[in-house]
Amino acid sequence: MTEAEALPDKALDTIAEVETPESIRFQFRVAGPARRACAYGVDLLLRGLLAIFLLTFALITGAVGAEGLAGASSGVVLVGIFLLEWGYYVVCEALMNGTSPGKRALGLRVVRESGHPLRLSDSILRNLLRGADMLPGAYGIGLLVMCADQRFRRIGDMAAGTIVILEDRLTVSSQIRIEPPPTERELARLPARPDLSRADHEALELFVRRAQAMNPVREEELAEMVAPIYAKRMGLRYRSAARFLALLFHRSTHGGV
Amino acid sequence: MRARTLGCDAEVLQYLDSLASRAHIALYAPPERRLVAALRVVFSEFPRTLRRSWAFVAVAGAVFGVPFLVGLVGALRSEQFAMNVLPVDVLEQLADGYAQGFAEGRDGGTDAMMSGFYVYNNIGIAFRCFATGALWGAGSLFYLAYNGLATGTVLGYVSRAGSAGNILTFVSGHAPFELTAIVIAGAAGLRIGYALIDTRGFTRVGALRREGPALLALISGAAVMLLIAALIEGFWSPSSLPQRTKLIFSACGSLALLLFFCFGGRRRKRPA
Repeated sequence: MTEAEALPDKALDTIAEVETPESIRFQFRVAGPARRACAYGVDLLLRGLLAIFLLTFALITGAVGAEGLAGASSGVVLVGIFLLEWGYYVVCEALMNGTSPGKRALGLRVVRESGHPLRLSDSILRNLLRGADMLPGAYGIGLLVMCADQRFRRIGDMAAGTIVILEDRLTVSSQIRIEPPPTERELARLPARPDLSRADHEALELFVRRAQAMNPVREEELAEMVAPIYAKRMGLRYRSAARFLALLFHRSTHGGV
Repeated sequence: MRARTLGCDAEVLQYLDSLASRAHIALYAPPERRLVAALRVVFSEFPRTLRRSWAFVAVAGAVFGVPFLVGLVGALRSEQFAMNVLPVDVLEQLADGYAQGFAEGRDGGTDAMMSGFYVYNNIGIAFRCFATGALWGAGSLFYLAYNGLATGTVLGYVSRAGSAGNILTFVSGHAPFELTAIVIAGAAGLRIGYALIDTRGFTRVGALRREGPALLALISGAAVMLLIAALIEGFWSPSSLPQRTKLIFSACGSLALLLFFCFGGRRRKRPA
């Protein structure tokens, strides 16, 4: 318990930590409202298509079949629409272990807060409570509740004890290269072994990796949030915050070279 | 973990993390015995939870029953009252329908269609009645009161028009299941609402979590009851069977429900 409190404080991050029975602690990235809304949109389209298919089926059987069949197929359609509204997610989450076609498309999965897979009872409860999250329309309450919660849970998730995680299939990319390569002059101005903790080093590495994919203005904007802290700590000055961080990282990795 | 202590690249760590979590999810996938668990919830946990929630059921019953009586008496006394509650054409359609009676019965196709409609309509209302309880109970109260009022008004209006016997015979089959189920769904919604008000020391989220299994038991039971009601209302109630048969069926159904609620799910006493 104390070890957990001694760990670097909870950063403003979308990470939920879980400890498994094997005493492995790993982290889930929790999915935010934007992704979940998009996944919902995809599922909505799919449900719409299924409803159209169902209606077409009913029309055809009504026109072609015998008298009684028309009524029966209407009944089936009504039950089908009901199931599409209340049962679609339950069936998908049961068959696809916590995802749905829309969620799959966005890389999301519903799991229990302990990290274990979704149970049927959890799935039913969280999907029934969509009736509350949907209000007053277009998931207004659900989105509000999600934004207020640290783990982006809506009312249904809270009652069922579930979270929606981001399940990106990560790959290990190539080595980091700093463009343009650090010059001797630049490196000479930095201490040989910068005073950086492991968490600092990790943060710098993640930044430098991302920097390659961002546009320069954004890169600079993000770097400006953090660079002054390091600069003050080491008593240095810099011209470009992003370059400063990249150089720091380079120094820290190849320390002393 | 070892990778972390060794100080590997952050990206490698993330990759290993994601592998580990996917393996965790795959390894601990739930066992397959879902059907047994589902049956147990409906037949055992549902009546037990119902007994424990008697206070909520009583409140929900009152919130449904009082407007029901108001609607009934009001519509019996004056047509104007009924027309204030429900649209005129709906009322007239119902009155005409019940005036005809069910001597000729109805064809199977329409029966199936109406059953489907009742599933779509009634179970949907019950689910909404339940879910909107998350608004500190307000939603459930609204649904219960409105449905109570509407039901009583329809009954009063049709009776005033002279078809009291017909409508009572018609509803006798499914009403014990349907109305009780709506009240139960409302009671479950009130449980959610109350848990948010009096959390008994838990956080609000924790209180919701705590209520989860009980809510599931109640709403599952209510849904099954409504499914039965939809089938009865679609196939049995409009059939041309004699009135006495329908009333006997209704009495048996009500008795069965009562026994189920009182004795269902009770564990056998352990020997001393």
